[in-house]
Amino acid sequence: MSAPDPKPFVFHDPAGKRWPRLRILGFFVALVLFVALTGFIQSLFVKPQLRLPSSVRQIKGQLRAIQQQALAQPKALDWQKFTNLGRSHGMPPIGPSPKPAPPRPKAVQGIRAAFFTDWDPDSLRSLTEHGSQITHLCFEWASMTDGEGGLIFQDISKVQHSASAQGIVLMPILNNLIGRDWQPEAVEALANGPAERRAAFILKLLGAVQEAKAGGILLNWEQVNPADQGNLTTFIEQIASGLHSISKELWLQVPMNEEINTFELGRLTGTVDRFVASLTDETSDDEPAGLIASQDWFEGWLKVIQEYGDPDRWIAILGAYGYDWTTGKRRAEEISFSDAMSRASYAGVKTIESGSPGFNPTFSYEEPGGSHTVCFLDAITFLNHLRAVKAVNLGGIAIQRLGEEDPQIWDILSLPNPMEPGKAALDRLRKMHTSDSVTNVGQGEIVTVDDTHDDGVRNITQSDGRYVATYTNDLPTFPTVFHQGAGDEHAVTLTFDDGPDPKWTPKILDILKEHNIKATFFVLGSQAENYPALVQRIVNEGHEIGNHSYTHPNIAEASKKQIELELNATQYLLESITGRRTILFRPPYNADSNPSRVKELLPLKQVQDELGYLIVLENIDPEDWARPGATAILDRIKEQRELGNIILLHDAGGNRSQTVEALPQIINYLETRGDRVVSLSELLHIPRDDLMPYANSAQQPYVRMVTGIGFAAWHGVEQTLWAFMIAATGLVVLRGLLVAALAARHHRNRSNAAFDPDFAPPVSVIIAAYNEAKVIQSTIRSVFDTTYRGEIELVIVDDGSTDETAAIVKKMAAEDPRIRLQCQPNGGKSVALCTALALVQRKMIVFLDADTRFERGTLGALVTPLADPAVGAVSGHAKVGNLRAFIARCQGLEYSCGFNLDRRAYAVWNCITVAPGAVSALRRSALDEAGGFSLDTLAEDTDLTLCLHRANYRIAYAHDAVAWTEAPETLRSLAKQRFRWAFGTLQCLWKHSDLVFNPEFKALGWFALPSVWFCQVLLVAITPAIDLVLIFSILAGDAARMGIFFLAFLAMDMLLAVIACRLDDEPISKAWRIVPMRFIYRPLLSWVVWSAIIKAFKGAWVTWGKLERTASVEVNIS
Amino acid sequence: MRLFPASVAVSLLLALGACKPAPPVQPKDQGPVTLAIPQQGAYTGAYMDFGDNEDDVTLETIEGFEHLIGKHQAIVASSSYWGEESFPTANLNIIWRHGSIPLVFWSPWDRPYVQNRGPDRFSLTSILEGKWDAYIDRWGDGARAFGHPVLVSFANEMNGTWFPWSGWFYGGETPVASAVPPASGPFQGPETFKKAYRHVVDRVRARGATNVLWVFHTANFSDPKEPWNAIEQYYPGSAYVDWIGSSVYGEQFIEDPWSTFSVTWDWPYNALCALDPTKPIMLAEWGVGEFPQKGSKPDFIRDALGTIQSRYPRVKAAVFWHERWQNASGNYSNLRANSSPESLAAYRRGVAYPFWLDKPQFAPLKPAPK
Repeated sequence: MSAPDPKPFVFHDPAGKRWPRLRILGFFVALVLFVALTGFIQSLFVKPQLRLPSSVRQIKGQLRAIQQQALAQPKALDWQKFTNLGRSHGMPPIGPSPKPAPPRPKAVQGIRAAFFTDWDPDSLRSLTEHGSQITHLCFEWASMTDGEGGLIFQDISKVQHSASAQGIVLMPILNNLIGRDWQPEAVEALANGPAERRAAFILKLLGAVQEAKAGGILLNWEQVNPADQGNLTTFIEQIASGLHSISKELWLQVPMNEEINTFELGRLTGTVDRFVASLTDETSDDEPAGLIASQDWFEGWLKVIQEYGDPDRWIAILGAYGYDWTTGKRRAEEISFSDAMSRASYAGVKTIESGSPGFNPTFSYEEPGGSHTVCFLDAITFLNHLRAVKAVNLGGIAIQRLGEEDPQIWDILSLPNPMEPGKAALDRLRKMHTSDSVTNVGQGEIVTVDDTHDDGVRNITQSDGRYVATYTNDLPTFPTVFHQGAGDEHAVTLTFDDGPDPKWTPKILDILKEHNIKATFFVLGSQAENYPALVQRIVNEGHEIGNHSYTHPNIAEASKKQIELELNATQYLLESITGRRTILFRPPYNADSNPSRVKELLPLKQVQDELGYLIVLENIDPEDWARPGATAILDRIKEQRELGNIILLHDAGGNRSQTVEALPQIINYLETRGDRVVSLSELLHIPRDDLMPYANSAQQPYVRMVTGIGFAAWHGVEQTLWAFMIAATGLVVLRGLLVAALAARHHRNRSNAAFDPDFAPPVSVIIAAYNEAKVIQSTIRSVFDTTYRGEIELVIVDDGSTDETAAIVKKMAAEDPRIRLQCQPNGGKSVALCTALALVQRKMIVFLDADTRFERGTLGALVTPLADPAVGAVSGHAKVGNLRAFIARCQGLEYSCGFNLDRRAYAVWNCITVAPGAVSALRRSALDEAGGFSLDTLAEDTDLTLCLHRANYRIAYAHDAVAWTEAPETLRSLAKQRFRWAFGTLQCLWKHSDLVFNPEFKALGWFALPSVWFCQVLLVAITPAIDLVLIFSILAGDAARMGIFFLAFLAMDMLLAVIACRLDDEPISKAWRIVPMRFIYRPLLSWVVWSAIIKAFKGAWVTWGKLERTASVEVNIS
Repeated sequence: MRLFPASVAVSLLLALGACKPAPPVQPKDQGPVTLAIPQQGAYTGAYMDFGDNEDDVTLETIEGFEHLIGKHQAIVASSSYWGEESFPTANLNIIWRHGSIPLVFWSPWDRPYVQNRGPDRFSLTSILEGKWDAYIDRWGDGARAFGHPVLVSFANEMNGTWFPWSGWFYGGETPVASAVPPASGPFQGPETFKKAYRHVVDRVRARGATNVLWVFHTANFSDPKEPWNAIEQYYPGSAYVDWIGSSVYGEQFIEDPWSTFSVTWDWPYNALCALDPTKPIMLAEWGVGEFPQKGSKPDFIRDALGTIQSRYPRVKAAVFWHERWQNASGNYSNLRANSSPESLAAYRRGVAYPFWLDKPQFAPLKPAPK
């Protein structure tokens, strides 16, 4: 079948060299692309050599030790006023003098309580490690909110779990603290108010204590009016008796200062189970710098408490933390022992001594944010305090607090006799061990990290019977996060993550512009790549840009290589768009959680040390991404504003309408409260051009070139693709509308068409048949069963059929002289038609496929237009007759809305591209003028039609000339047929390419033929690519963009189908078939078009691709 | 100690968030405006514990108070002490942007700001000598630059003995040289005050600060209660006064006697009315401590917020003093609205009357008197 044909044909490549050459070319193109891609990816691994400009001075290098600053007035002797001796000098007693209290059972000694805090991971770690040395755990639990007995409880499930696992008794705290404000009224109003209110409160409290599975509660009330102490005592007694009734204990925290007067300790000794003496916070965080628990002060208050009840009823709070006071700041920062060590170490403090008189270690240092004074408590102060407590036989101690302690206090607690620690123990205390806990230095959320850590040594001596620690330059160091950017209290900055986004970023930029505010956008490379114009706009409008990685990975889980690639790609991309680099980086996820373990520091360290970025975290996170509502976003910012100054919002990653809605309110709120909304550069006092330096063209020219070209090429491809999609959609829609309009016009005008009923010239009907035995008989009968009044001559050329075709025709010819049979060896359809033409002499010739049947009126309708001598050919109206299989039904619709609708439309402008061989009529003279059937294409009908156009004949369309053809019923046969059509069409297009955009052929050259090129070749060929992009974007959850184009195409197809069905009086419901056709039919067409293109390049001949006949066309002749 | 239960703060503030902030009521741009004297009702306002210097104004404090008592404030009071030598621009902007009119107690004294210490470097005589003219001018410039209506109470409660600008410290009852007969005045103390008052007002006006509304602000009862120390002796003249004001306190200290609102206000109201027949009257400070054994704070509050509507028609503003402080004895005086649930309920109910105006009203600014 595929025997090479000797005759030349369109695309024929006799030498057979085209394909191999093409393949070689293809190979080299692929090779070049591969090398370029590899180079591009390689270049992304080249670090951008960011250098922090000199203005970005790290706080780490700016800490300096300074002269010890003066401390506030010592309060060491305040206690004297509250002893019997003091009272004898006129001080009021603390409540009535202790009566000979009712004998109470001796309290258990050796209590070791500890304070725990939920938000500090170090606290939990300490609890886990040292839980076995703790008997009771105290932690924030319930806060009294108002005088009505309102209570707010905290979730304590976490601590409950880890404490109960270690057999520790829970002593949760009941206090009157809200945020940072004590609520004295909450206590006073209950104490002074009606008894029922107290009773209801106590009932609620008892229920909560039982639910918490606690051993009791620790009462911590502050700032309560001593004038109310009588009622207060009654209230406390009522609480105590309630707790005792359910076998729980009441502990009362007693302030060791003037406020000790609040409580009538004398009366309360009979009811309270334990007094917990606040033997710490001698200087509190809202006072000027001072000592936290000086030894004289500590021991003095121990004297006071011994006057109230049995000493074993008392528990002493031993401080284990530090304060760092900054001059000019309202409050000291509470720090851990290791924080104090880090600060002293990085400041280069020479000596810290905890000697007389206070025996609390202190030191001072300065950094750009101000000068600092630190007082901290360590294992040695702990030892001194513990010895003092042991000396007076108190009931126990409470460590304040877990997570901030000098780890070696645990060694002290395991000493058999702390009164005589012994040389070995002191030697152990000398050596200070580092850990992988992270310490913090400085304030603010722009951080740098240092993971180096090392052990240290302190000297321990004795003075006045107390131990003294001396720290010299061998301090322990810990993994450290250095903070900066706290700014002044009214400086605040806005940051937007995950953008840019085409919908939300412009809205946010508009709002910022309106308020003249500069923000920082931490962009994702993947988004920047899509919306480079927005990136440019962000920079142009004076905002700052930071790197937020390319794809938003969790850098804690990403490999080093991945982090490098993510950051470099984004960096080079930003550079190629804006000409600037950025040294700002914000890690995706977890930007709000400060690292607490060294392993969490490592990715940040890589970003900082190896890639050269400044890390920007945040501390006001309204979680706008979760869409809590604009009001909630604003309220959350209000809640957090006093605790932070870097606000995190999002301008992408979903519907950000709430963020956009909240933004003006946020800005208004901030400005109303007196804040200045500043840029990050202003907050850091670093010029914007240093945060976003211009790319230096001399630096890394090769890498910059490769990445630049790479991104440019990628942009180019992508832009072209989108431009193509837009243009293609536009053209398809325009063409569709035009076709619809023209077809409608044709439909309206057909009744007006000049119709001469007397025009009935003799016609020759030609059928080329190849193995048509099943159908030929009915085809022939349909020709003669006609209303046509003219003479009919039928010529059948049997093209070497191997079945009964010739025999059947011969038999019929024998009965009817109008039928003539000509047999020939198989030579192809064109050859067969040429043979037939040589046999007929009539002026009008009708062509008919052997598988196609006429209706009774078909012949007349087909020939009528030829009455006009300008008409060279008439196209009939082919319809699918075998509508049994789905495939065939689809083709039926395709014939209606593809072929016939087009023909109606094209007929109006005389640009029909094919009068189909299946059903058409020709004027013999025109056919001869056009050169007859040529043998060099597979689509001889198209070829001939185009030749007729060249000869200036009109091609008419006879809609009433219906012919029922048999459509392939299997995909395979359909594919064969369509391949033949596609190849033939390609050949004709190629052969007649000079017609395209040829001014002589107006509608044909400018509309019909380009339509074929575009709709039937190009669009069909790229269908799979578009489908792939669509599937990919659906998988990526971003179907919207691609989907619009897809739906536009589908809608256009649907519209044309509906119009076609209407014009053809078919049920409109058929038009729905367009949808499944899109998914089955289009890919098939695409495949055959590609086969045809490849065949064309190969240049080998193609055979008929014969349809398997089934004789299933059923014609209902009305 | 840092005892900071974040979740407690968060839930409280969440409740706070339910109270929607009122949009700033700013008059449309129709030329300069001033605070109108309301035809109906009176402005409600407060001083809310702005710290030791009475000048730590924060939006959080204002919104917290408004949430507590359930009403927006037409007037928010704070202090500007001369010892700071600055104009409180930031405070005034917060108050104005919040939609309230600032009332500033502009008090000529120096650090430490402790009562009963007598005159310091900002004495009335030093003011009259022109020593502080540069500061007064700067303050006037600051006020003009602020550009919105602001109530200024300069040197309040001058008819007592606790503040250094009281007539008591400036010759008190001594008649001035020209007085005939000497016993009926005028007296040196009040005369010095009036001269200093006019000096300050003149200088501020000369800087073009036409947006300042001057509040002549006395203590409700003079101390000592002597004719030379009477309120009218200190009145600098209607050309220098836009509002006539008074501090009106019930019992503040546990050692003092209890008194009812009408006792604290009946007589002073009439005395103030007599100073000028047309000027609006303001309770520039009012409040009472919580001493349940002595008297009912809720009753005092109820009486004040109720009877002002009916019995004192010229009162056009009342500024509540919301503060709790510790006295030398260690006891507390609690003047906060929420010193007890009953007091809070009384305040909330009383101030909820529509009579109490929660927003300032505005009128066109007339040209300054020449």
